[in-house]
Amino acid sequence: MNWHDHLPAFLVMIPLLGAFLTPFVASWGKLVRNVFFVLFMALTLVVGISLCTATFDGRVLVYVMGGESFSLTLPSGMSYPIRILFEIDGFGSLLILCISIAAFAGALFSINYMDRFSGWKRFMSLYFLMTAGALGMSATGDLFNFFVFVEISSIASFGLIAFWRDKPESLEASFKYMLISQVAAMLLLLAIGSLYGKYNALNMGALASMLRAGTLERISLALIVSVLAFKCGAFPMHTWMPDAYAETPSGVTCLLVTVSQASFYGLIRVCYSIFPALTQGGTVGWILIVLGCMSMFFGVLMAVVQHEIKRLMGYHSISQVGYMLLALGVGLLALGNRNDIAAYGLTAMKGGLFHVMNYSFYKGLLFLCAGALYYATGTRDLDKMGGLARNMPWTAGMFVIAAAAISGLPPFNGFVSKWMIYESSFVVHPLLPALAMITSVLTLASFVKVFQAAFLGPAKEKFVAVREVPYGMLAGMAILTVMTLLLTLFPGWFMGNLFENAARALLDHQGYIRAVMGGI
Amino acid sequence: MWNQLDTGFGHWNVFVWLCFFFIVSGFVLWIRSLGRMDYKRSTDQDEIYWSGNEVPDDGAKISVPASSSYWGFRVAMEPLYALLNRFHSGNASDYAGYFVVTVALIGLLVLF
Repeated sequence: MNWHDHLPAFLVMIPLLGAFLTPFVASWGKLVRNVFFVLFMALTLVVGISLCTATFDGRVLVYVMGGESFSLTLPSGMSYPIRILFEIDGFGSLLILCISIAAFAGALFSINYMDRFSGWKRFMSLYFLMTAGALGMSATGDLFNFFVFVEISSIASFGLIAFWRDKPESLEASFKYMLISQVAAMLLLLAIGSLYGKYNALNMGALASMLRAGTLERISLALIVSVLAFKCGAFPMHTWMPDAYAETPSGVTCLLVTVSQASFYGLIRVCYSIFPALTQGGTVGWILIVLGCMSMFFGVLMAVVQHEIKRLMGYHSISQVGYMLLALGVGLLALGNRNDIAAYGLTAMKGGLFHVMNYSFYKGLLFLCAGALYYATGTRDLDKMGGLARNMPWTAGMFVIAAAAISGLPPFNGFVSKWMIYESSFVVHPLLPALAMITSVLTLASFVKVFQAAFLGPAKEKFVAVREVPYGMLAGMAILTVMTLLLTLFPGWFMGNLFENAARALLDHQGYIRAVMGGI
Repeated sequence: MWNQLDTGFGHWNVFVWLCFFFIVSGFVLWIRSLGRMDYKRSTDQDEIYWSGNEVPDDGAKISVPASSSYWGFRVAMEPLYALLNRFHSGNASDYAGYFVVTVALIGLLVLF
């Protein structure tokens, strides 16, 4: 037996094991605790990278838990899979890579960042759980398990948002997210339960092979699309996001960005792989486009006027999610028509998936930079900052790279993915790229404001003693900076090996079914 | 090629852009080198000009706070911002309401 075959199981097992071992290991001293935290996240990263490279050739990895054989999806006599099953294709592995890199960077950053605070056992356990939940969402091939992983990551995030429980703002942010999230969870469960009641199956591939375009299926689709759009922060259901992102410790915010991307993964998986008969060519595509445009524009409008740095970045997250919704919505309009796919659909999907990865890295980096500023100055209010580039040159440099990338300035990676979204959405309607470009200009405007307010200008007396943040924090930021620069310098490699592969995996609806159901 | 991309609509090569930036940077540095270098250091010629006023020692007194940035934009967009601020009321019941209404709207659109 080759250990390589069991990578999908290790992907979730390692962070879960980390979560349950933390209460014991964290009692053995600071050094052991820190080594354990970084080592387990590094192992998760290695597994994530290995899984990603295993799908470069377009392969779909399937792993069955608790069966006679890990690769036997249909035991004799069964017409559809009943066991817990992981199914990882090019699209899933793209998300797994983003999550595992962001989780590792966030963990490295948190070693120094959280050193001033107590509650490490709680922090590490929840961090591991949230990572396991997000990775599970991207790996599972089963709708009910998807719901379970959504809940694992949500419950962990409620705890981490309220981590500083002596701050009323943290408790309020966590309570708001928990309240709406639980309403959403009930609706998601209702949708999955309805499908199970009718088709007697929960496996995504099996459901995709059986689904018909009836009323119950439409209601289930509407509920799943709404809930996952809420989870990834689409306007007007985004209201939890700025509060939650602002109050969470920065290393966790970096991971929370990719957790929202895992919800985006679920949304796209449902639309492209499970319900293509209902979603192609019409209403759902336009719903995603309208949600995307509203998220882009209103998100950035709110961001421009903020002066609390993490809150400002939280509103930008809504705006960035808008680009991805727009791109994948345009892709849905083309779905089912070979000519439209060739004309603009594939470019839109590749642009959207490129933006998913870009966003995971530059947005995570921006949140870490905001955390570094808070660590050094003790404030998140931009009005109180100024002249910090002299004291914190590395943080300032990495902030400039991330800000230029998110603003879509050439030659950075953000420009390339946005450019592909502009080109493809122009074919659908010229107003779409116009709105996206206005959003990009406003994004640049607000990050110029942040850079001017925090890093430029004369030095302020109260910050004379401020020094650059510790090496651990810089290392966390450096990982995301390197990833941003790699995406900038080698977009052709990433496109050929990751985004093209992920987009084609989404288009190959039958291939996704075949991987589980065989020749049926 | 790892550094270039064909989208079907156009062609992107990051190194062409980097070359462009290096060439423009060279021009910028050349223009800067044409400036006068004969000013007297540590005299009034070396001081920051701040509308003829004396520059205070503490930078906090002369910096523009972030909340004052884009004042004109905010004033011009005041009606829209008033609406958006009312929307972000901070009330969890409102937020749950927006979610339920959006779910209902999406449900209607998908059904009919």
